[in-house]
Amino acid sequence: MIGLSHYLIVSAALLSLGILGLLTRRNAVNVLMSIELILNSANVNLVAFSRFGAGNLDGQVFAVFVIVVAAAEVAVALAIVLTMYRLRRTPNLDDADILRG
Amino acid sequence: MEEVLRSLGLFKPEIALTAGLLLVVIVDSIGGAWRNGAVRILSIATLAVALGYAVELQVAGAQGAIFSGMLTVDPLGSFFKIILVLASLLIITAFTFRAARELHGLGQGEFHALILALTLSNLLLAGANDIVMLYLALEMVSITSYVMVAYLKGDRMSNEASLKYLLFGAVSTGGMLYGLSLLYGLTGTTSLPGIREVLATGVPGPQLALYLATLLIVVGFGFKIAAVPFHFWCPDVYQGAATPVTALLSVAPKAAGFGIAVRFFFGTFAVPVTGTWDLSGVIDWQLLLVVISVATMTLGNVAALTQNNMKRLLAYSSIAHAGYILMGIVALSDVGARSLLIYLFAYLFMNLGAFLVVTLVHLHDGTFDLRDYPGLYRRAPLLTLAMGLFMLSLIGIPPLVGFLGKLYVFGAVVNMGSGYYWYAAVGAVNAAIAGFYYLRVLKVMFIDAGNEDKPPLKLAFVDRAWLLFFAAANLLPVLFWSRIDEWARGAVVLYTGR
Repeated sequence: MIGLSHYLIVSAALLSLGILGLLTRRNAVNVLMSIELILNSANVNLVAFSRFGAGNLDGQVFAVFVIVVAAAEVAVALAIVLTMYRLRRTPNLDDADILRG
Repeated sequence: MEEVLRSLGLFKPEIALTAGLLLVVIVDSIGGAWRNGAVRILSIATLAVALGYAVELQVAGAQGAIFSGMLTVDPLGSFFKIILVLASLLIITAFTFRAARELHGLGQGEFHALILALTLSNLLLAGANDIVMLYLALEMVSITSYVMVAYLKGDRMSNEASLKYLLFGAVSTGGMLYGLSLLYGLTGTTSLPGIREVLATGVPGPQLALYLATLLIVVGFGFKIAAVPFHFWCPDVYQGAATPVTALLSVAPKAAGFGIAVRFFFGTFAVPVTGTWDLSGVIDWQLLLVVISVATMTLGNVAALTQNNMKRLLAYSSIAHAGYILMGIVALSDVGARSLLIYLFAYLFMNLGAFLVVTLVHLHDGTFDLRDYPGLYRRAPLLTLAMGLFMLSLIGIPPLVGFLGKLYVFGAVVNMGSGYYWYAAVGAVNAAIAGFYYLRVLKVMFIDAGNEDKPPLKLAFVDRAWLLFFAAANLLPVLFWSRIDEWARGAVVLYTGR
């Protein structure tokens, strides 16, 4: 029988993978995908808690909102990454280093 | 139906901003040569109306949860709304497109629409009463700020700043979302007062999960208020963004972040009893916040010592000020909440004033570098004197507003008892360190020789008027301080029902 803990393990794994990707990837698009993993790990949590624990639909409604926000965020992020590519001809985040000090 | 109508009545500032935002977008897309002026007047009118409504709510002392508990209206939230709308209004009126050299030739419609959207989302954040609304408002603030930072199209610094801002922001709000999902799982509700009710009866589930949730949520707030160790984006973003955007970001999202932090920590983890606030649950986040606050003010001040770029210097200075303001949250009392309100109020005028001077110097000389500032006293006495006033206010020299803000936060900490005297002492030492780099700016402007060949700055009449306005706003409040104190005292009422 699949229970709450199974979902929590999946979500923790997704979160860890997301953070791992953030720390190791240098390509901006890969980093954005890692951020999506983090957001979706929280979504799995919300839906699982809503189904097994809380006994109300608040969590599932929250998850729908998170999906919308994630789409909006990625739209802005991709625009910024595209601009970066146009200005520097590279999607590599390590090359964005003129602001320091 | 009745509920919706009642809610709409308490939602007027936000309604005004939404209507104004839509109008600005429409006018900008149909307008001809007159559209820039129209957009500007429309935005100023919108913000003035929203300010009027916010003041009306504050004066009436309106209280209650609206839209089925999604948002809440209370005097504390209304005070924050006044600060937030006032900040945007001052930015639009004082930091014009003419005065900001970086913005010359760029579209005005989008800029004003973005400022209105940022104000709207700040207001929603300051009034959030449910973790769904909290997350949505926080993300709306973030996304609008990313776009505003990236506003200088084709500028590599602006682009890089917004990229860094976006990555930091996305990660910290993502972490916060994970924490919120755990909090929902532990308590079974998304409403902040509901969470408080559950926590008051003891922590459900494993203690560790609640610690983790709290920690992750602190990450989200820490990012918004630029507290150490979530401050890395701050200097880069402040340097890369156009100066009016920087000035707005240094005040508005920070104030909104403090607003929701007060609501979250005071209203969710603590219950207001008369005067003091009882901590419900068993989380010792007070200690955590003390550590963050000490680290924030110390690192901010020490890092600012070596900066030569004025925008970076003010960025580190704003990090340090976030550390002082956190003292008001740590105090966890009515006195603490009041000191936080007063500090934010003071911070608004001293910081915007300093940024206005930086903007005007850049307009005439095209530089943000402190090493190009020598000889300014000879070339622009009024501007330099005003800057002197803002710097002294930021240090906290009496009788300027900055002093009054510091007096209140330190007082709130000392009030907590002898166990916290060291904390106030750390704050005082930090104020002394801060004095060093603020006075360095003054020394360069007043005493250092240089730029003898350059002509005097020809400041426009409105710019002079705004400098005088900000100088007066730093100098005069002390004269009718009892009123401001009373106002802030009356504002510390948090609506904690559903």
